[in-house]
Amino acid sequence: MSELVLRDAPPPVATIGRPETYLNDGQTIRSWLFTTDHKRIGVLYLISITFFFIIGAIAAGLIRLALVVPDGSILTNDIYNKLFTLHGVIMVWFFLVPSIPNVLGNFLLPIMIGAKDVAFPRLNLLSWYIFMGAAVFELFVLIAGGVDTGWTFYTPLSTIYSNSWVIPAVLGVIVVGFSSILTGVNFITTVHTMRAPGMTWFRMPLFVWSMYATSLILVLATPVLTMAMVLLFYERAFGIGVFDPGAGGDPVMFQHLFWFYSHPVVYVMVLPGMGVMSELVTAFAYKRVFGYTFIAYSSMAIAAIGFFVWGHHMFFNGISEYSGMSFSLLSFAVAVPSAIKVYNWAATIHKGEIRLATPMLYAMGWIALFVVGGITGLFLASLGIDAHVHDTYFVVAHFHYIMVGATVLAFLGGIHYWWPKITGKMYPEFWGRVSALFMFVGFNMTFAPQFVLGYLGMPRRYHTYPPQFQFLNILSSAGATVLAAAYLFPLAYLLWSIRYGRDAPPNPWDARGLEWTIPSPPPPHNFEEVPVVDFEPYDYPNRIPEA
Amino acid sequence: MPDGVGIELAEQFSSARQQKETGELGMWVFLLTELMLFSTLFVSALILRMLHPGAVTAAALHLKMWIGGLNTAVLITSSFFMSLAIELSRAGRTSPMRLCMVVTAGLGVLFLCLKGYEYYRDYAEHMTPFFAWRPYGLLGDPASRLFVDLYYVITSLHAVHLTIGIGLVMTMQHLARAPGFLSRHANRIAITGLYWHFIDLIWIIVYPTLYVLNR
Repeated sequence: MSELVLRDAPPPVATIGRPETYLNDGQTIRSWLFTTDHKRIGVLYLISITFFFIIGAIAAGLIRLALVVPDGSILTNDIYNKLFTLHGVIMVWFFLVPSIPNVLGNFLLPIMIGAKDVAFPRLNLLSWYIFMGAAVFELFVLIAGGVDTGWTFYTPLSTIYSNSWVIPAVLGVIVVGFSSILTGVNFITTVHTMRAPGMTWFRMPLFVWSMYATSLILVLATPVLTMAMVLLFYERAFGIGVFDPGAGGDPVMFQHLFWFYSHPVVYVMVLPGMGVMSELVTAFAYKRVFGYTFIAYSSMAIAAIGFFVWGHHMFFNGISEYSGMSFSLLSFAVAVPSAIKVYNWAATIHKGEIRLATPMLYAMGWIALFVVGGITGLFLASLGIDAHVHDTYFVVAHFHYIMVGATVLAFLGGIHYWWPKITGKMYPEFWGRVSALFMFVGFNMTFAPQFVLGYLGMPRRYHTYPPQFQFLNILSSAGATVLAAAYLFPLAYLLWSIRYGRDAPPNPWDARGLEWTIPSPPPPHNFEEVPVVDFEPYDYPNRIPEA
Repeated sequence: MPDGVGIELAEQFSSARQQKETGELGMWVFLLTELMLFSTLFVSALILRMLHPGAVTAAALHLKMWIGGLNTAVLITSSFFMSLAIELSRAGRTSPMRLCMVVTAGLGVLFLCLKGYEYYRDYAEHMTPFFAWRPYGLLGDPASRLFVDLYYVITSLHAVHLTIGIGLVMTMQHLARAPGFLSRHANRIAITGLYWHFIDLIWIIVYPTLYVLNR
């Protein structure tokens, strides 16, 4: 990326006949840092979240390294606690939440609905600056001082007992929330008012539907986290004990407020991935998506039901039997729209003209991992089974199948799919397939043993464990190294392709959708003139393949 | 729209109507997040009341209900003048519109003054549990301290929002001095008004939740 930014402006003669793209429309650093072009802001986000992903991944690597031995002799308890907090905080707020929405969403949403830009371009840039400010501050706090509460900041550990840098860490989380809110406001407004003529709601690509549902969650849930964190800050700093039973408060209320945000935000992480999936599956099955309206509405249903399931994180924290049963039932209900999507993608692939290119490999890996992650979610939503496996590695494995298996695979699949559009260059297909394969194998090797460990009773967040668990832990750590290789491959060959890759045609996949009708990379204002949409979404020919 | 009222098109829009709708919708969505922000505090206060009804009532009886009531009237009046300003902006009448906005902001300042006086009275009655060095006046159940603390948290957050609102209204009426402002940015007055009405609405929820309900 930086090569593009730093390269000297070419002499005037050389630009004659060269198409004007968003990349060569001003090449100074200033033209990037003060840009209001949604595509450039998407690229800025891509660079930033990649950096924070690497930091979070290094922390995860160190955690897995420490767990190779059962006696905890590699890292001290304190360092271990600070590492898993750093991993959680960085990965959740500085990678997963902004990953697909702020990179692919920013880049694609306006193009997909035929707009010149998002509704509020300057707000969009402000959102990036808030993100960067909070992220750099948070990183400093987590590395210089460290926090040992875990990413959930549960009271009373975070308010009374912890001696680490909780207050600044909480402030960083509050500030990054504003970045999410601004993005959410921007996307909702963009989808409502910026659609091109003829782009009706049910002609929007399913990725746009999923971004819309995601933005609703961001806008409605994030302020609740903000306020929960403000109250936590007041309690720790000034002794205003809303969560302190000694002062008349209630520590369980913190968990209610925290999960009222943090469970919906799980869908912020997975819904965009589902949106990417709908695009990948249709393009590489070369077929109309099966059940368009069902997929669109199921995104909205997931967003809506997602607000009423937070209690399943608290089955054993003293909530009543009846609320336990209600939350259990509602958590089962979320599985319905999720399953609708998976069945619809399977039906889309069925009898399609399947091309097993890199994005499709990621998509198929996605379906497998999401199904495992989703079904183990049902185990956890059942009161009886949860009594056995809650707070064990079973939970860790479950949510990594969703967050890493689903979100990261969708993110990488999407990055590969739209890489030609973003950079105007093709990546080496062979290495793409190799890395997709490594990803799938490495991921399962890392996290599948953790289901077993959890079922056998290994608790989360502990640094030491009984020696009989060592084999599975070593297997998991070995898987993590494969996974690390699978992350490093794309980093290397995608950067390589920026300079040496061959030029991408406007539509390298022969895919449908407005983003494939414009040149790669797109011109600064996306469309020469406002497009008029007179076609249905995913209007693939639906040929029946020869038997 | 009458002469001299209009919108200068920003480059991402294709019509003035689209730009106007976008600006207003954006503010509405933002206000939705603000509502959720305050709701968290309202829920906290209501739950505290359910857990400790006696202590909360005892503490709430010391809130100055008449100041709160007067302030409610002040804010509703200010919203009336803001609405008037929006109507005048649509008619393109800059001078009376600016006057209405100054009155709006002035009523906002009056609210803050009354609120400040109320805080002063609270302080004089030793109702400041968060000051460790000053003895707290209402002894007994610790939940009464928590309720009073929450009262400060909620009202001060509202006051911060109101201060931003006053700054916004004054900035807008100042910018509107420029000739032809309404022909370029007529929609900004209505969007500012939305924010102002919202702060008013929040107070209309704060007042019963803290002052009235607990008597």
